[in-house]
Order: sequence, then C-alpha cells, then structure tokens
Amino acid sequence: MQRHSIDSPSIHPLLLGGLFLAFLGLMLDFRSVLPFNTSAAPPERCQGDVNHEVVLSREQLAQLLTVPERDTKQRVQEIVGAPFCSLQSLQVRAGIAAERQVYPLAFDPSTRLVILYEGDEYAGYRFSFQ
Amino acid sequence: MTLSLLALLISGCTQSESSVVREVPIQQAWQLEPGQQVGEHRIAGGLGDISIEMRGDRIYAPFDGELQPNNVPNCYVFSSPEVPAYIFRLCGLERPRLGAVAQGSAMGSADFLGFATLRRQPDGHWTMVEPASDVLQRLLDPDAMQVGGGEE
Repeated sequence: MQRHSIDSPSIHPLLLGGLFLAFLGLMLDFRSVLPFNTSAAPPERCQGDVNHEVVLSREQLAQLLTVPERDTKQRVQEIVGAPFCSLQSLQVRAGIAAERQVYPLAFDPSTRLVILYEGDEYAGYRFSFQ
Repeated sequence: MTLSLLALLISGCTQSESSVVREVPIQQAWQLEPGQQVGEHRIAGGLGDISIEMRGDRIYAPFDGELQPNNVPNCYVFSSPEVPAYIFRLCGLERPRLGAVAQGSAMGSADFLGFATLRRQPDGHWTMVEPASDVLQRLLDPDAMQVGGGEE
C-alpha cells in the first residue's frame, strides 16, 4: 500500500507546502539582513584630497587602453592627468606599495576607472561599477 | 511538473555568471601543481601558495569583489575592481559563496587555506608573486581594513 501512495501522481499537500516554503526561502535574500554581510556597501572611500572636477573622456580612455602593463606611470599620467582621488595605499605583493588612483568616466558617471601603480610602474586598470 | 518549474526558477534566479569557471593561465609551469594527482592523492598546494591553518574559521572578502570557481579543482578565484592587475587564488575553501561579495563579508571557511597572489602580465598570463600580509590580514579578519585608515 505504501508503494501505491509514492507512485501516486498527485503531490502530497505536505510536500507541496515544503516546496513552497523552500521556494520562498530561495526568493528572499537574507544575505543583506545578516550582520556579517554589507552587500549595499559603497565603493571604497577616497583617501586624502578629492578633485571633484576630474573625469575621464572617451578619448583619454581609448588612449589609456593602448598602454601595456609595465609601462611607466608617467606615460599613463600624461594621458589621464591628475586623479579624482586615491584609494588607501596597500601592499598586494610583499615589500611593494600599490598606489590606486580613481577616475570617474565622463560618459558614465556610475562607473569609475581604478588604476594601480607600483612605484614608477603602471600595473593595470579595472572598471568599478557602482 | 512543480519540481521542474522550481528547478527552472532556481537556475534562472541565482548565480548565473558567478559559477562560470575562471581559467587562470599561470606563467610559471611547475611539474607539481595543485589539483594534480600523485598516486591516489591530490596535490592541495604548490610552490607559491601560502597555507594557513584555519581550523574551520571563516574567510572574508578583502575588498568588494567577486568569487569564482577556478579551473584547479577545489580552488576559487577572488578578484576586485578596486585592486586592478591582481587576482587571488583560494584553495581549500568550503561552502564558498560564489558571485559578488562585499568587503568584510564571509566567502566560506576552510580547515587549511591555500592562498596565492597572482599579478597580471602584459601577455595576459598571470604570474605568482610573494603575497603581502595586508591582503592576507583582510582575508582573515573582516575589520582589518580599518588598520591604517582609521587612525586619525
């Protein structure tokens, strides 16, 4: 008789209820409620001076993309100019200070470009979406 | 029918891009690397990995970023738009939280964490470099980012 109830095409109401609750649990994102998570955190804060008028144009960006990693910081700065601001200095690899500079995009203010230098060397860039 | 609908909704709603395996071509090619098999045993860490005794403790996102599975089994890649030119490989992570992660939020836990810092090369390869304690401290302590910045 037990086998008969398992083979039954209709889903047991209890199972259906469980499925509904599981589905509800999946739909709700508890991560933002839990204390160890800060999903809505703003992007990393600027340290020191902020030059509010600085934005990066399409032309500047296009030029920057042609500069290979390991080129000089000077070459990059000739293209992009002074930064909007700098992020906290840190060491990513031992003994080398990484300098991170921020440039909001003129044509997309919600996106900022982060450039990383190590000493006089240009290490790379990434886009940060807010 | 209900089940298939549920499965469809789950697969459609969660972690679509984040579970895409991120292949990381590493410049250094060693004979013995993590993920390889020696006899019946898998290599868990290789030259360039720092192994940390975590005893099941949590590992936290050092910056706002993303956690993705790596092509090396049992390893994951953390990258952040706030830290260009670098990615971090985390091996041995248990119950990983894939996808977008906020700075200081838990990314999983580990008994032993294998941590490697990779720097981008102009040819698109990644080279293993000596990790600094700055990033490692942030990985182990969600409040470590206050150090240095919050002293004034």
